[in-house]
Amino acid sequence: MLSTKTAARTLVALVVASLAAIAMSATASGASATTITIWTDKDRLAAVTKVANAWAASKGATVQVVQKDFGQIRDNLKTVQTETAPDVIVGAHDWIGELSANGSIVPLFPSTATKKQFPAYALDAFSYGTAIKKLYGAPVALENIALVTNTKLAKVPTTWAQLQASALATKKKTKAAVGISVQQGSGGDAYHMYPLFSGLGGYIFGKNSAGNLDPSNIGLANPKFLKNAALIDQWNKLGLIRSSVDSSISQDLFLKGKTAFWFTGPWNLDTLKKSGLSFRISPFPAIVKGTKAVPFLGVQGFMVTKFAAAHNVESLAKDLVSSYMMQSGPQLELALANGRFPANLTAAKQVKDPQLKAFGAASAGGVPMPNIPQMNSVWGDLGAAWVRSTKGAGSIPAKRSFIGASRSIAQKIG
Amino acid sequence: MSSGQATARTASGVKVPPPSLLARALPAFSGTTGLVIKLVLLAVVNAIGLWALVALLADESWIAALCVLAATLAIDAVYLLPVRGLIPLKFLVPATVFLIGFQLIPIIYNASVAFSNWSTGHNLTKEEAIQTIEEASLAQPANGAFYTMTPARDESGNLTLLLVEEGSGKTFAGNEDGLEPLAASDVTVANGAITGAEGYHVLQGDELAGIDEQLATLVVPAGGKTFVRAEGLSTALELQPTLRYDPTRDTFTNIETGVVYSDNGNGAYADPQGQEIDQGWRTGVGFANFKDVFTNPLVRDPFVSAFAWTFTYALLSVVFTFFAGLFLAIALNHPGLRFQRFQRSVLILPYAIPAFLSLLVWRGLLNDDFGVINNILPVDVPWLFDPFWARVSCLLVNFWLGIPYMFLICTGALQSIPGEMTEAARVDGASSLQVFRKLTLPLLLVAVAPLLIASFAFNFNNFNAIYFLTQGGPYGEHQSVAGATDLLVSYTYKVAFQTGRGGDYGLAAALSILIFLIIGTISAITFIRTKALESMA
Repeated sequence: MLSTKTAARTLVALVVASLAAIAMSATASGASATTITIWTDKDRLAAVTKVANAWAASKGATVQVVQKDFGQIRDNLKTVQTETAPDVIVGAHDWIGELSANGSIVPLFPSTATKKQFPAYALDAFSYGTAIKKLYGAPVALENIALVTNTKLAKVPTTWAQLQASALATKKKTKAAVGISVQQGSGGDAYHMYPLFSGLGGYIFGKNSAGNLDPSNIGLANPKFLKNAALIDQWNKLGLIRSSVDSSISQDLFLKGKTAFWFTGPWNLDTLKKSGLSFRISPFPAIVKGTKAVPFLGVQGFMVTKFAAAHNVESLAKDLVSSYMMQSGPQLELALANGRFPANLTAAKQVKDPQLKAFGAASAGGVPMPNIPQMNSVWGDLGAAWVRSTKGAGSIPAKRSFIGASRSIAQKIG
Repeated sequence: MSSGQATARTASGVKVPPPSLLARALPAFSGTTGLVIKLVLLAVVNAIGLWALVALLADESWIAALCVLAATLAIDAVYLLPVRGLIPLKFLVPATVFLIGFQLIPIIYNASVAFSNWSTGHNLTKEEAIQTIEEASLAQPANGAFYTMTPARDESGNLTLLLVEEGSGKTFAGNEDGLEPLAASDVTVANGAITGAEGYHVLQGDELAGIDEQLATLVVPAGGKTFVRAEGLSTALELQPTLRYDPTRDTFTNIETGVVYSDNGNGAYADPQGQEIDQGWRTGVGFANFKDVFTNPLVRDPFVSAFAWTFTYALLSVVFTFFAGLFLAIALNHPGLRFQRFQRSVLILPYAIPAFLSLLVWRGLLNDDFGVINNILPVDVPWLFDPFWARVSCLLVNFWLGIPYMFLICTGALQSIPGEMTEAARVDGASSLQVFRKLTLPLLLVAVAPLLIASFAFNFNNFNAIYFLTQGGPYGEHQSVAGATDLLVSYTYKVAFQTGRGGDYGLAAALSILIFLIIGTISAITFIRTKALESMA
């Protein structure tokens, strides 16, 4: 009996010692000094892996690409532990205000020659700082929505009057409840409504004397927009747009030929091509004289996180992001593999796909989504203002609705 | 399970039933096998403890390390020391560990967040924030030089940057002591970069891997406040700070304008006008978040309206689904009913489909202009876009989702009420209604009351049912953060992720503590009243 116990004790000591040794070695090994960890989403995974591996081979480094849900990349970065944290993330430009205020990403300094290869707004979209503006990411791809016309049902409109007339004629013919496929839903969708918002003279944040977005200058209820706001009530009465159209309904209506126009982006190009419809992609026509109706611009890019320094790969990571990824070759490869327009101007010239080029053309004059963190207070209220005024019977006049939203946003920003 | 086993026979030929599964399994946990299982499990616990200890020591979290050490030793003692008094602990320890791990620590953590200003821009420690501000204040001076860079080592092994200035093509060697021009005759330049230099060893391939940290932090003084630093592996540039940190006064000073930024007590450096530097840090703010909930109209108004709706929603959901479920249970409990099993199965179907799926289907069905309900029925109700009707929709859909559950538990509870009692009551001359009110319902409530309380708490926090159906919308004209159908929990979610500068975890944690207190109070009161019910029965 005693011998069993002694044996047991010895066994415990042995097992504990060995497991402890395993545990210690696991802690010690951690991240190897020459591995760069990249977080990206499912759509871009294959392309990023390919492009990053081509770079790593020449540097004697290895790349570990981790797939994350797009929005999770931003959220997880706030709470991730250093051991499992990424050195580089692929994300959207409108994250950088929040990420840099949180100290999660580091400024980049590409050469002037490199910066010259990019449109000014793409670099500006990735720059943030209330006192000194800094570049926090390498832009790689651009995306925006455009006007998609079903050419069997309507001519590509060059004026708003044409668009409205065709939309209403189709609506009458197909007995659809709405004339244009533009998505909202009960939560609202300020992004897809932006061409209409900007076309009526609305803006989100004005700029201060230093050229920075000014969160105290909110343009939801600026006089010009309010003057034109009656048009929204008119559209609502005519059934041109409806808040009950959500993303799946807007797609369904257009693909089934119930509506002649769809406001959508390059992410639906495959769906459009597979549908067999004859369609054209074009810029939005101006709604009121002298004001362009433009979409929001989204810029995707690579960013270096604060964790790169802790992992001793900061120079490597910066080499990947601010030198390699900004070149035209990798940009073209990455953008095309993902069905987006590359940010690098030289690469952009080499895009052959006519549809992708058409989306690029529709971006002219577009406004990058504000990247200041206060934008988080805007999305919900701006979307809700549209919903309140375009829900058919029982809608609130647009003027009142947008003034209310503007006040609410101002309060939330404080 | 045991039906497949051959029935054992004793020597005398008397049949004995096979031992139960538990009885057969128990011996496996005693004797040598049991000892080995115990030791292996214990070793796993020790290994986890040791791993945590090493990690905590590396992190210099002394107190936490001490706690882990003490806990691990205590667990070992309980299971290894042959002391009789420790036997009850053997059963208590696992439960306690899980209680601490999954209940207490999250609650304590949540509480610690609630008393902090953790939000966008207040995400770092103060030291990290100072470092980040210094880094973010670096700027390229006007006409600052940009270089193509090659890392190298000089004869004494010091890391040196071999530089070719962009534009002029001048060559330099830079180290901690400063920049030194290199004669063009001493260097080989290819593709604009130095590939070899007299007296220097150019680093290549694997040699680059080890120097990353050194390279990233090497500062080459370049006269005045400016310095040259590597950017990646092949470029370098001139930089100069715009803010200077003064550790003795704990302030930042703008070098150009002289503006002083000092600690404003809220986890940020601010100038005299109150303009804060973007990067701040997490710090305790006492009861400020709780105060906000009650005094700041921006937080209070949505909170109050969401609270009123949440309470109504949870209460109506429980009351209605309970009575509807009870009615169906009684109806289907009737002995003479045909296809009883089939009818019961059909009723349970909504419960068997994943709720988020049926919620999305309902969202489609209820759509004001395109939904089946408005198109088929001769009605035109703004189901999802009118604040009042959206609330009605949320309730109706939740009834649909909740009735099967209530039906199930009521059916079960009804079976447990002895038929003799109701029969006796009948014989005594009670009407059906009297039997139900005076006998069946009280007996039933004793069994299901705790479940009703749980159901109330569940619906109080029924995030999915709202988020998948309406996302909290529609928003009335004067509603901001919380929409017409936002429950407290979805309102809290919006506060945490969609307000101000993109997230206020401190305030959201304070709100979640308030929700906990509300549900806790309601549950406690109801439980006490249920006790009274029990003694009555």
